[in-house]
Amino acid sequence: MDATLLRLLAMRLRGALRLRLMQVVSLRGALVLVALGGVLALLIASGDLAPDAPLFEMSGLDTETLGNQISTFMPFALLGMTVLTVLLTTGPSFHFSPTEINYLFVGPFSRRDLILYKFIAYATGAGLSAALIAPFAQAQTGSVLSAFTAAFLTLLFVQLNSAAVGMAWQTLERNRFARLKWPVSAAVFAIAIIAMAHAWAAPDRTVYGLLSDVRHSWLGTALLLPYIVFAELFLARAGLSDLAVWAIAALLINGVLLWAVIRLDGRTSERSLKEVTRQSDRWERMKQGGSFWATEKAEIRSIPRAPRLGGLGPIAWRQSIKAVRNSAKVVAVFLAIAAAAGPLTATFGIPITDDRALVMILFFFAFIVPRSLICDFRGDLSRMETYKTLPIAPWRICAGQLVVQVLLSYAVALTMILSLLLFEDRVGAAMALALAVFALPLMLLIYAVENTIFLLFPTKLVPMGRADFEFLGRAMVEFIVKTVIILVAVSVAVGVGVFAFVTLKPAWTLPALAAWVTLSAIAGLATRVLQTAFKRFVVAEAFE
Amino acid sequence: MLTVTNFSKNYSGFSAVRDLSFTVGPGQILGLVGPNGAGKTTTLRALCGIVPPTAGQISIAGHDIVRTPIAAKRNLGYIPDDPRLFDTLTVWEHLAFTAAAYKVAAFEERAETLLGSFELSHKRDTLVHNLSRGMRQKVAIACAFLHDPKAILFDEPLTGLDPQGIRGIQQAIRDRAQDGAAIIISSHLLSLFETLCTHLMGLNLGQCRRFGTMDDVLAEFGQSDSNSALEAAYFTITQDHMTGDA
Repeated sequence: MDATLLRLLAMRLRGALRLRLMQVVSLRGALVLVALGGVLALLIASGDLAPDAPLFEMSGLDTETLGNQISTFMPFALLGMTVLTVLLTTGPSFHFSPTEINYLFVGPFSRRDLILYKFIAYATGAGLSAALIAPFAQAQTGSVLSAFTAAFLTLLFVQLNSAAVGMAWQTLERNRFARLKWPVSAAVFAIAIIAMAHAWAAPDRTVYGLLSDVRHSWLGTALLLPYIVFAELFLARAGLSDLAVWAIAALLINGVLLWAVIRLDGRTSERSLKEVTRQSDRWERMKQGGSFWATEKAEIRSIPRAPRLGGLGPIAWRQSIKAVRNSAKVVAVFLAIAAAAGPLTATFGIPITDDRALVMILFFFAFIVPRSLICDFRGDLSRMETYKTLPIAPWRICAGQLVVQVLLSYAVALTMILSLLLFEDRVGAAMALALAVFALPLMLLIYAVENTIFLLFPTKLVPMGRADFEFLGRAMVEFIVKTVIILVAVSVAVGVGVFAFVTLKPAWTLPALAAWVTLSAIAGLATRVLQTAFKRFVVAEAFE
Repeated sequence: MLTVTNFSKNYSGFSAVRDLSFTVGPGQILGLVGPNGAGKTTTLRALCGIVPPTAGQISIAGHDIVRTPIAAKRNLGYIPDDPRLFDTLTVWEHLAFTAAAYKVAAFEERAETLLGSFELSHKRDTLVHNLSRGMRQKVAIACAFLHDPKAILFDEPLTGLDPQGIRGIQQAIRDRAQDGAAIIISSHLLSLFETLCTHLMGLNLGQCRRFGTMDDVLAEFGQSDSNSALEAAYFTITQDHMTGDA
């Protein structure tokens, strides 16, 4: 490999380390380090990171049972990933950034050198990831070294396998038999579903038993052989010699895959460039608050007019179009997750009032949904100039920005409430109604706070590479601030409700109304603060 | 039509613009010239209400941009140097959005005319993230013209445009001025000022160094060729910048 590229890799690594160090000395970076250090200290103190501590203790699996499950499921999971790569791939998965294309593709480097350069960059990333995984997986593998080796080689395999399979498929794509891709996939999928349904229905069979039988049959072993090697890496507890044998086998497989990638690259380089451009466009859009799944169409039927509604209309109209064209799949995923809440709590027997369930719901609505579904100011940092020049009152702009985001999140909340009403015995009609009524001001409060923080401290929406301490620190601080505000607001509303109940004892209606009005007033106040933050937002300073 | 009185803008201790006063009347085209960091973009952003002035008054069509921002902005069109359009909207939907925001009632006919004049008719249903930079610039200008503003501010209007596009935009600017709009253009292209502007203002280190009609500026530098005179004016300002003695 060209020495210049190795030098570039070393310089980039040094630059990345320097950036992380600079982030660590910032307030947010220091906060995240303190938080991570605290979590680590807790894990060490509780013995969860000890080599003899059972992995996934909460799931109640002992080491042997877990080993059996890894032996059965991991090869299937890796095979499934390969099949999905063939079905869904749109291009080779060795992605070069636009900067790399502009500087390196025109430089005096062979394609082989560039692939090796990229592979070493991936391997460095995989090494860091494996180092993070190793302490948690050592209980399964017996030592940190074996856990690191297993995780590192498997991560490399995942990357190389998808690249090689993707490239191989694109090379074969022009073949007439390639048209059979979808019918054959559908047939295999149907057979798998029928087999699973049969195993599910038969009283003496289980899906796990069926998969285990397939995995341990001679046909299953032959089909899954390359994948079994990587499962065995996590099961090699007999000693270093056992680990060494499987590690050498894994290295050989990875070596063959790397060789295949270099060989196949020449046939797919044009497609690769196209894919790189496509991914870069998507990445740019994500940085602007768009979704990875946003429409990639060039033309679309225009909606002829926008509603006015005193200035609120066009802003809300624009955000609702963004939601439909950019985030429809994200909303669908969240609705599906919310709909699954009832069956899941019923299956695991965890009541909705349980601390763990409440923390998960809070985390879902205050962190996961706001981070993934962005139809408000947070996706419009680069368009603040436009909003500032519009002849529309700031409060209308703020309301227009919030309405779609709040209503979409509210729809997710209503779906969850309905699911709990149908499947969770402890949730009756009255409780579901109360939850539905209180959820709306709560969503308004969450997004008013989220947007206010964003306008006061505007920043990027996506992390810049692995271990972006500043981004992680900010996300953590934001979540803590939001949680504190939500808890205080709910406590105040409940307090007012309890006080009203003590004063007007006979009925619940008036105290509930008092609590709702209180929560709504706090949400309204938060929206007023958001309006002030918007008015104070200075575009030039935010960009600098 | 557009009046600026003793305008200053400070950013955390740094003075971006100091004590600027000028007026642009209907039909006049003022060119803002100066090196990077002279305060041109800050001035334009303050004029259209994006950043509040630290001191002074800015009036658009008789409306103060701080006291009555809605009325002032209704009379204003602003085309930034890098138009950031809404990536999920089509070209037509940008015009529909602008019409609703600026309360333009029957906008369809005017919108079609604008699309035609900027050669965008065949792109009306294209999502804007698929457009080239020059096309996006044209969409931003079409949106800024839709509500027939009395004052229009251009920040580097010709960036990314092809020769036909440049000619089209220049003609559109002339037409708007002839219809009575007050226009300000900020650019580094001296030839653009020579072609379009009636007035010129030289900015350096946030202060006005030269302000007058084009004829006055050209006469001051005594060149027979207007391009050379503009260059001479520009480099005099830049020299001030280098020595900091202005």
